[in-house]
Amino acid sequence: MSDPSHHSLIEDTQGIAFGVCMAAVGTHVLTHMGFVAGQTVGVAALLSYATGWPFPALYFAVSLPFLWLGWRRMGPRFALKTFIAVAALSLATALLPRWLEFERINPAFAAILFGALFGIAALAVVRHGGSFGGLSILWLLVQDRTGFQAGYAQLIFDALLFAVAALFLDWHVLGWSFLGAVVFNLFLALNHRRDRYIAT
Amino acid sequence: MTGTARHTLIEDAQGLAYGATMAAVAIVLLTHLGLVTGQTAGLAVLISYATGWTFGVVFFVINIPFYYLGYRKMGLAFTVKTFVAVASLSGLTLWLPGYFAFGAVNPWMGAVIFGLMSGSALLALFRHGASLGGIGILGLILQDRFGWRAGWVQLGFDVILFSVALTILEPASVAVSFLGAVVVNLVIAINHRRDRYIAT
Repeated sequence: MSDPSHHSLIEDTQGIAFGVCMAAVGTHVLTHMGFVAGQTVGVAALLSYATGWPFPALYFAVSLPFLWLGWRRMGPRFALKTFIAVAALSLATALLPRWLEFERINPAFAAILFGALFGIAALAVVRHGGSFGGLSILWLLVQDRTGFQAGYAQLIFDALLFAVAALFLDWHVLGWSFLGAVVFNLFLALNHRRDRYIAT
Repeated sequence: MTGTARHTLIEDAQGLAYGATMAAVAIVLLTHLGLVTGQTAGLAVLISYATGWTFGVVFFVINIPFYYLGYRKMGLAFTVKTFVAVASLSGLTLWLPGYFAFGAVNPWMGAVIFGLMSGSALLALFRHGASLGGIGILGLILQDRFGWRAGWVQLGFDVILFSVALTILEPASVAVSFLGAVVVNLVIAINHRRDRYIAT
């Protein structure tokens, strides 16, 4: 068995590949239902519904500027892994609908499924030293500069995002999107524990 | 934050809920494509195809004899958690088709997604002190007793199961199923590490 405290290149590769595949299925559920979400994926979904432009291109474009911030705040390895995760997820969300279609999904189940899929995906990618986008890095940098807690900045941003979404979306859709965001955040809050998963 | 070494009841409950839900979606995908898999679930799928009985019922019944083995070798908590996981998976696969159905799915893509979903489901169940039934229990006992990786033991069982599947299914379906089983076992073999995820 390999070193318990450090992932090998193959281990990181399978972790990020797993995360990208699960996130792609999760995003497919999200856009199939017309739901929004928080953070970078949510911004891209909302822009996509508002403009009609394809989600994969918007997600890639929204994430790109933050890679430089990621490099500065978290180092080149994190920035490279995040770039790979973001580029692969953009590609996967563009291709997956050709190979996998849903016939029907109950909205409540879709919200739970999105939260679980995106939660496990984010957990895997973060445990393997990457991320799915830039906004969380921005909040960390704001915290560094001003001392304003990153968690609160993230929450305020998501609240604004959902407020804007309320202008476009039916309130049912907004409610189910909110449920998905709650499942996702609870999943990460309960399971993202560096004291329990000790490898880096 | 809760203590590092032990999961709380809530943490175990969400781990089991994640595992049962993800495994149920994976089984819905698997049977949608008419594929088989390994382990106890694979045996149940195969019997289900051969007899026309529902997977959820067959899977629940097959697991009954293994609870005694699980109780003797792994203790009460493990046995109760495994029963909850097995009953939840059985129930979800009976309930889910009314709320969730796949449309057209490329079989190779479907097999990979099945493998990733059920691999992460099993990983979550193992890390929270549960399993999905008989062969998993056997694999865990052998891992703890002899240090054999549970992934390899399961692969041995799968070989026998797949030989039988060849007499029921088209060779092409068995080949696609094989890809899915390889993905499941790789996810477990690479990631089931008690030296990295240290909480119990």
